[in-house]
Amino acid sequence: MKLSDIGVRVEGGGPPGGLGGGAVAILHEVLAMLERLLRTGEEAAIDLRSLPMAPGELDALAAALGQGEVDAVFDGGGRSRVRETAVHGVWWVEHRDPDDEIIASFIEITTVPAILITDPADIRRGIDGLRRRLAQDAAGREERGGQANG
Amino acid sequence: MAEPDETQTVGEVLAAQGISRRSFLKFCAATASMLAMPPLMGRAMAKQLASMRRPSVIYLSFQECTGCLESLTRSFSPTLETLIFNVISLDYDDTLMAAAGEAAEKAKDEAMRKNRGRYLLIVDGAVPMGNGGVYHTAAGRSAEQILREAAKGAAAVVSVGTCAAFGGLPLADPNPTGAVPVSRLVTDKPVVNVSGCPPIPAVITGTLVHYYTQGKLPDLDGHGRPLVFYGNSIHDRCYRRPFYDKGQFAKTFDDEGARNGWCLWELGCKGPVTYNACATLKWNDGTSFPIESGHPCLGCSEPGFWDGGSFYSPLATGKWGRAGEMRPKEVAAIAGPAAGVGALVGAGAAAWARGRRRHSEQDSGGEED
Repeated sequence: MKLSDIGVRVEGGGPPGGLGGGAVAILHEVLAMLERLLRTGEEAAIDLRSLPMAPGELDALAAALGQGEVDAVFDGGGRSRVRETAVHGVWWVEHRDPDDEIIASFIEITTVPAILITDPADIRRGIDGLRRRLAQDAAGREERGGQANG
Repeated sequence: MAEPDETQTVGEVLAAQGISRRSFLKFCAATASMLAMPPLMGRAMAKQLASMRRPSVIYLSFQECTGCLESLTRSFSPTLETLIFNVISLDYDDTLMAAAGEAAEKAKDEAMRKNRGRYLLIVDGAVPMGNGGVYHTAAGRSAEQILREAAKGAAAVVSVGTCAAFGGLPLADPNPTGAVPVSRLVTDKPVVNVSGCPPIPAVITGTLVHYYTQGKLPDLDGHGRPLVFYGNSIHDRCYRRPFYDKGQFAKTFDDEGARNGWCLWELGCKGPVTYNACATLKWNDGTSFPIESGHPCLGCSEPGFWDGGSFYSPLATGKWGRAGEMRPKEVAAIAGPAAGVGALVGAGAAAWARGRRRHSEQDSGGEED
């Protein structure tokens, strides 16, 4: 017998075709946060792991917010996925560990999640690396030029 | 790779080790979530940690089995625990450090001198006081002398594991070495008890991260434990709780109830009187916790758990429930002679435990009610 053969009835997911109470409450909170973002620029976030939600309710919430234009993935000590939902300014951020287990998930209300922004210190390191590479390249060309002339 | 020096910031050390800012931000976000901090706190935490100098930590081991250190260093994946242990300046740990003898002692003295008033002192194990402290000596000094000397210049002391926090196994009856918990000797510095046999690794590092990022120790319960991790009983957070509420109990380890995953109360589960995060943070990289594997909670993060009678006797019949018979010694050792002893009787254990928690939250005076 397979696990999928065991009949499981998910309770608390709300009426068929509708949203459960927990998901509706979160969507109202998201709406208020989004209005504040537009009005004042204040960012906000909801920690999805801290909320007591009935089985299936999280999926219903994700479905209600839908998929937007951006879907970014980066791998740093496990995969992270940062995607904008169909509601602009509402991002679904999910972090996983190297075993692909979710270690944190948030709804972020922002123009762009902080994790996507390049840090100035990293830009400085990028500048240093690029300068070194160009210097090496120039030195190599000089060397090749010298050999050709010689 | 070059050894990080003490002038480097945590961010610089991480960059040198090839750990990106994004990875660090990600782990800080996960840690903020674990610490039940506001969701955007992860960014502030990452900024604060990345820009600070590598904090100095001195780790002393006394009467212990090294299980706590194993718990801390045996993480399965590059989690924040491992990140933090790459970036803190662990200036002394006689189990982990390569140096030995006089060189090791010199490293400790120098770290204590340079970081006076700033270093965190982690203590693992109870301190034997019997016969002038002869049961644990290092470099010609007793554990008590070593502890008192190191605590003088510490910003705070973190007692890791039940032995350091409450005396644990060394203090268990008949306590042949006169073991006492750290808080009995260090009374002029903040002491945080991170109990458990061993504690969950994330609870140890979460406490350190809280201190470094918030600049203060976390709020504590009546036993000096961080409320964020020890605020709920195992029972309150147990996924088998509905079976307890319905009166459905496993009677043996292989009966129908055990196979159905019913409550393990009658097999001796100490979950109702045990405060820890096992049911939520879990063990072995989040795989499970003892009750999920079909074994009752032993109550390892509570004072005097070794002396509470059989691990397999229900709370209703065990010594955990007899006020005044077994616990005064442990209570006195932890909270001093002024502490009283609470009553805990049979099926009322869970209610008692919840009541005690409320009391602890209101009055964190360090005494058991």
